[in-house]
Amino acid sequence: MTHLMTVLVLQVAVLTLAAQGMGFFFEKKLRQPRVLGELAAGMIVGPYALGRIHIAFLHQPLFPVFPGETMHVTPELYAVAVLASIILLFLSGLETDLPTFLRFSGVGSAVGLSGVVVSFLFGNLITVLLVPSVTSMMDPAALFLGTLSTATSVGITARILSERRRMSSPEGVTILAAAVLDDVIGIVLIAIVVAIGRLGGGGIDWGRIGVVAAKAFGFWIVATAAGIAFAPRLVRGLKRLHSVDVIVGTSFGLALLLAGLAETVGLAMIIGAYVTGLALSHTDVADEIRERMHGLYHYLVPLFFAVMGMMVDFAAVARVFVFGLIFSAVAIAGKLVGCGLPALAFGFNRRGALRIGAGMLPRGEVTLIVAGIGLSAGIIGPELFGVSVMTLLVGSIVAPPALIAAFRGGSGYRNADDKADAAQSTEVHLDLPTVSAADFIRARIIEAFRSEEFFVNRVDINSPIYRIRQDEKSITLVQRGSDISLVTAPENEQLVRLILVEEIVELKELFEGLQRFGDPGELGGSLLDGLLGDDE
Amino acid sequence: MNLRKALTVDDVIPEVSAVTVEGIIREMVAFLDGRGKLRDAQAALQSVLEREKKMSTGVGHGVAIPHGKTDTVDELVTCVGRSAQGVDFAGPDGERVHILVMTISPANRTGPHIQFISEIARLLKEGDRRRAYLAAEDAAGMYRALLQ
Repeated sequence: MTHLMTVLVLQVAVLTLAAQGMGFFFEKKLRQPRVLGELAAGMIVGPYALGRIHIAFLHQPLFPVFPGETMHVTPELYAVAVLASIILLFLSGLETDLPTFLRFSGVGSAVGLSGVVVSFLFGNLITVLLVPSVTSMMDPAALFLGTLSTATSVGITARILSERRRMSSPEGVTILAAAVLDDVIGIVLIAIVVAIGRLGGGGIDWGRIGVVAAKAFGFWIVATAAGIAFAPRLVRGLKRLHSVDVIVGTSFGLALLLAGLAETVGLAMIIGAYVTGLALSHTDVADEIRERMHGLYHYLVPLFFAVMGMMVDFAAVARVFVFGLIFSAVAIAGKLVGCGLPALAFGFNRRGALRIGAGMLPRGEVTLIVAGIGLSAGIIGPELFGVSVMTLLVGSIVAPPALIAAFRGGSGYRNADDKADAAQSTEVHLDLPTVSAADFIRARIIEAFRSEEFFVNRVDINSPIYRIRQDEKSITLVQRGSDISLVTAPENEQLVRLILVEEIVELKELFEGLQRFGDPGELGGSLLDGLLGDDE
Repeated sequence: MNLRKALTVDDVIPEVSAVTVEGIIREMVAFLDGRGKLRDAQAALQSVLEREKKMSTGVGHGVAIPHGKTDTVDELVTCVGRSAQGVDFAGPDGERVHILVMTISPANRTGPHIQFISEIARLLKEGDRRRAYLAAEDAAGMYRALLQ
């Protein structure tokens, strides 16, 4: 037992250090997504590279190869990776923007649904056509590769769109809405495919597949509906305890509970975690949970990607390298065609359709989670696992430049005046004389909202954008230089104005107080006077 | 927030008789004190007068929301009133104020204090509501006009 734990701790240590180092290197030096660095770290230190070197004091390699097994990872280390994947999907659910999806559900559903269907078919068919051991579209391996072609990781798209201020463009909101549906269908698809995979290969038993699908949809719908109905009440109850830690801890506990329950009914754990996040996403504590869980996320999730990287068998990938490239290209084509075509039917021109297709290209964690589940269940072997990792790599490298190029040029909408962004919102501006005055007022405004019992969270650590929430009320505060603007629904405008007025009143008092204070230069002088006081 | 919980029909003053801003504030604070809602009427009065001195609480359209913060109340205390004659609160549109909303909230306790004022302001944005409030026959009518 002690030896097992020693090995585990050393494995976690090496993977953490490698993942953090390589993640940093890829992000800052190569300007590539962090996740690619974390994957590469796992490949380098894993059992197919440095990890197989014998370590004398351990009397074994740090990451040994287990002959006869498809996964060369100890159950203990895999458990850590599973926990990380639960955290990852819980936070993905929490970040889901349900209102945006509902507002643009028409075009979003069409784009999302068609994207999933076309990508699935493309992925599935190319596997049947090119992999000799796969002969039917219902072969679990074909179903798995089809499923992992559907996953979209909209995080990269969202970051690029927000940097270019195109987030609220018709294409931007369509991509965001479509990505929600894409996630939801993708996750249910995983549930079905995992369950089919567990039924084992052999003949197609439509009856059993029907039961599995009904169970997956049933669990999904019941858990989501119950979660969305119950979460606000639960949060209200927990808020009476006046401890955000208890709220966050309980939410995480529930995510684990639902993950376990999902597994016991034969579905994947991540579904339970995602549903819990989704249910909590429209409560006012969602950002607070996300922020507090972020620490755990930041340290554990790179470990998950590194463990996935560890499983890449270079020899196996070399055998299927050409297929991997073809599969990656087909997966990109599936998204471009599947998401772009329906956009044409919803008033977008070809440029707009291309933008939407490109926005849905990035792949991420879900691709790997699906692949990991497939590998651990023995549905796919190391070759096809390698293909999954290649798809993720190619997609992640191609998507950002493709998206940036697609967003050059004019409107992507046939009728430029008919903006899809019909969101009703109102903006209140405050133009301060200097940036430091704006910094000061911003801090005061945030404090004022907190004293009104709002939850205030910084959206991005690198820029002063805050989300201010209480029940259904949501306000976004953005500071650009000396300008502060607050964007919210029209019904909250009075509140925003009154809070700003009260802060201006306080500021006025502060200025008057400072004037009575005397000459700041004189005060500074008297403070400096004693700085190098004579000790002698 | 639940306005009916914070404001009842007993918190309505059908006619505020004072003719100056300070007089109105004194009269409304005295009303709250008379209803046993204040531990220290003088401190409450001081907080509202000081806030008014810093910047007028007249918000236009004949509405003013004199308010203050003091440690001598434990929760939001409020009342609404009507002045037939009207008072010059030096609001943004220069209109005389006929509709008055007063709140006194705890200085060092979090709670939906400004949200209460903003909710009332949102309701009073509607011209029909303001007219119905001013035309109501009694406190019950004013209360109905304001919150319905």
